[in-house]
Amino acid sequence: MDIVARGIYRINLYRELCKACGLCIAWCPQQVLFPDAQGYPLANAIERCVNCKACERHCPDFAIEVIPPEPESEIADVPSLIHAR
Amino acid sequence: MKLQNSFILREYLRPQAFPTTWCPGCGLGIVMSSIAQAVHFRGLDKNNVAMVSGIGCTGRMSGYADFNTLHTTHGRAPAFATGLKMARPDMSVIVVMGDGDSMSIGGNHLVHAMRRNIGLTAVVVNNAVYGLTGGQSSPTTPVGGRTSTAASGSFERPMNLETLARAAGAAFYARATVNQTAALTRLIERAMGVSGFALVEVVSNCHVLYGRMNELGDASQMMKSMEEQTRRVNPVLLRRAAAPLRLTSAGSPATPVSTATAQGVHQDPRVPRGVIFERHGSRDYSSRYYAMLEQKARARA
Ligand SMILES: Cc1ncc(C[n+]2csc(CCOP(=O)(O)OP(=O)(O)O)c2C)c(N)n1
Ligand code: SF4
Ligand code: SF4
Ligand code: SF4
Ligand SMILES: [Mg+2]
Repeated sequence: MDIVARGIYRINLYRELCKACGLCIAWCPQQVLFPDAQGYPLANAIERCVNCKACERHCPDFAIEVIPPEPESEIADVPSLIHAR
Repeated sequence: MKLQNSFILREYLRPQAFPTTWCPGCGLGIVMSSIAQAVHFRGLDKNNVAMVSGIGCTGRMSGYADFNTLHTTHGRAPAFATGLKMARPDMSVIVVMGDGDSMSIGGNHLVHAMRRNIGLTAVVVNNAVYGLTGGQSSPTTPVGGRTSTAASGSFERPMNLETLARAAGAAFYARATVNQTAALTRLIERAMGVSGFALVEVVSNCHVLYGRMNELGDASQMMKSMEEQTRRVNPVLLRRAAAPLRLTSAGSPATPVSTATAQGVHQDPRVPRGVIFERHGSRDYSSRYYAMLEQKARARA
């Protein structure tokens, strides 16, 4: 598969939510994501991301999100949400 | 429209309860995400939405979703949800159940909720096994599937929920998988617009129990195999098909849609996904009930 490079998207990985299941890596058609030694995803080739959101929709734990220049919904501060009491 | 995960988390879930107790890679999180997105796309106020669940891994969802939630007893979610819908007919009530929850212990309640055609959106997460209690056989375990109660493979034929729903009088039945996430969201969204009992069966993965006992691979392998094991159905083509199509999973009693006898049932072993049936002109039990009371009151006056 051809790899497209755009370089306009950002990826947030929320370590506290991530369970290192690898689904995001398995579904990325652009080979943006790679596992670290423990299996947690790293966005090592972020410039290839096309914001297809396959990773985000297949993540069962809401631990990854791709942020385009003009997001279609708001972006919340995840660490503060998790720790709010 | 593509919603951000952090937005879904803040608006429709309870982030303080995260991370969930579900195993890494369990499809239940994907189902929960699709339900949240469906509520958003329908433009519903989450304070006017309720989620009722039973017991099981699936049953835990009501602890993580930020609607009005009821975590009820095993198998009785449809009964609690019926009471809620009768008291608050204006509320959108989503019932989430596992395959064991809905079809084993809760089979009776499910049948009568469908018979009344009460306005509920039922999401049945079918992972072919009892997840929470350690991988026992469920009514949807396929023939030959190994479980902790069928070490050499199940020999019972699986439940045909689609035909049961049709016979009992449900208004809508769709089947989706956790692999096709956009279709899953769209089908739940559509089910939520039905007046009457709408059921979405979601094929999901329990890779740590059923998957391991049957050497089906990890979560991603199990999800990707859903692509080959299912086929998309189109209700229009279904009605026009010369030979009746089988609508249930392989091994369960097959009843064709367009003829009375089972001869010539399509032999495709793949499980159909998409809208399996929709009964037009269906009206929710609660609105019919209150209309009947009004009519009686007028007749007396
Ligand atoms: C009355 C009663 N009987 C039995 C149980 C034990 N039990 C808990 S969950 C469960 C089955 C869960 O299977 P399923 O509904 O498929 O949910 P899953 O965990 O697979 O999502 C059983 C038998 C119970 N909690 N209550
Ligand atoms: S949105 Fe996710 S899956 Fe799609 S290209 Fe970017 S990193 Fe890969
Ligand atoms: S899919 Fe989600 S939980 Fe799984 S490894 Fe990727 S970010 Fe982590
Ligand atoms: S036991 Fe199975 S169904 Fe339950 S959380 Fe784990 S993978 Fe999911
Ligand atoms: Mg189950």
